[in-house]
Amino acid sequence: MHSPLRRRALGLMLLFGALAAAPAALAQAVGGREPQAEQFVQTSAQRVVAVLADRKLTVAQKNATFHQAINELADVPKVTNFVLGKYARTITPAQRQQFTTAFRAYAEGVYQNRISDYRGEKLTVTGSVVRKPGDVVVNTSISGGQLDKPVAVAWRVQGAPGSWKVVDVQFKGVWLAITQQQDFVSTIDNAGGDIGVLIAQLQRDAQRPATASR
Amino acid sequence: MAAAASMLLAAPAPALAQSAAPNTVSPALVQPVEPYDPFGRVNRPIFGFSMAVDKGIIAPLAHGYRRVVPAVVRSRISSVLDNLGEPGTALNDFAQGHAKRGGVATARFAINSTVGLLGMFDVATKMKLPYHESDFGQTLGRYGAQPGPYLYVPVVGPSNFRDGLGRIVDLFTDPTSLLTGGVTTTLGAVRFSATTVDVRVGADSAFRALDDATDPYATARSAYSQRRAAFVQQATGEVGALPDFEPVPTDTAATAPPAAEQSAVPAAAAVPEDLPDFDAEPAAPSSTPVPAPN
Repeated sequence: MHSPLRRRALGLMLLFGALAAAPAALAQAVGGREPQAEQFVQTSAQRVVAVLADRKLTVAQKNATFHQAINELADVPKVTNFVLGKYARTITPAQRQQFTTAFRAYAEGVYQNRISDYRGEKLTVTGSVVRKPGDVVVNTSISGGQLDKPVAVAWRVQGAPGSWKVVDVQFKGVWLAITQQQDFVSTIDNAGGDIGVLIAQLQRDAQRPATASR
Repeated sequence: MAAAASMLLAAPAPALAQSAAPNTVSPALVQPVEPYDPFGRVNRPIFGFSMAVDKGIIAPLAHGYRRVVPAVVRSRISSVLDNLGEPGTALNDFAQGHAKRGGVATARFAINSTVGLLGMFDVATKMKLPYHESDFGQTLGRYGAQPGPYLYVPVVGPSNFRDGLGRIVDLFTDPTSLLTGGVTTTLGAVRFSATTVDVRVGADSAFRALDDATDPYATARSAYSQRRAAFVQQATGEVGALPDFEPVPTDTAATAPPAAEQSAVPAAAAVPEDLPDFDAEPAAPSSTPVPAPN
């Protein structure tokens, strides 16, 4: 027979055991793989890569599909805020509105160019790393199409199962959004902190023809 | 070497590194290392000059080469040049303590130089001996050397103290050059010229990325620094430090584009609540190993 005292002690041990196990489980997740984020990237990024590599589609069709894909797969508001760097804290609401529109048009062209540069057809997930809960880097390899060798592309996704969104893409060690942030912040710095100069430049650049097919 | 030729695309693929060492989350998993550029005022005009040289001389040469030489021949030439770099790769792999990778590079050189007809055909990859690169800048980084100040070397391209020194060491310790006599010999000169054009052709998309940038100098600096950091992380097996994406300010809701232009999912799902470090300053990391620029 167990005494009440002994049962209480056992209960406390179980409770503390559970409490001790919780951070351990969390720690195990960080640095480990995230299968659902991998599945999200496998499905969604494969779709984008396949469309951009499809020679049967016209440029207009590719643009429309890419636009739709960004809407569905990328966290546009978060990226838009991120690329402003330190100026995200000082931008006025009116400027933010102008910047949001200008950046969307600019970024769509630029990101489409970068992904199209590789012209691969098949995307294979090679692994993932949980940086912290809800923040995962999924590593992929793009091959086929006009690629001689597979190209490593990593996708940083944030959110949760069922609501993952891409916030950054890395080609050969270079993250697009991080590079974009340093580009924009430097441009604003060079203009003495005038965000309007960057907005005007983006509006001009967005008018330029796409370079993806070069 | 071509202007900025080594800038972006000459980098080995980071995914290959995953076989080098297990993924471990870096203790410095905080903010990205912003390039340290105390010589920016000197670097910027040198960058402008180098881009002009590229536009006027090197790019037309590279594009002419691409137009005249069929893709299959260019691919064979690239393979031969890659193969000549294998002994240097192996040397650095061993210096980094990566005996397995060094063995792979050595085996690749032996196989591709013989069965692969002087490196024209990458037979070794089909034998599950994939291509990778290593250099002395990476070796220095493997043992903890920081990049130091960013440098833009005229015509050669972006660098930093650590990787510039690494490049010089590679130049004098490259086994292939030591055997063939370096650039002063015909073979060495041909190798150097072919490498210049080959790397510049490979870096074409990187140059297009600079065309798209609002500040090409800052973009090249950022891309180069990230690429080298990722390359060193291949040797250390660490996962790179990345910045946090801060939550979107509440005033954005009123200023964002129309709903039709936004995500198909509700706005609440687009901005997860579990983002840590809400007060983090992405552009001014507090715990980066090198000082922030300017």
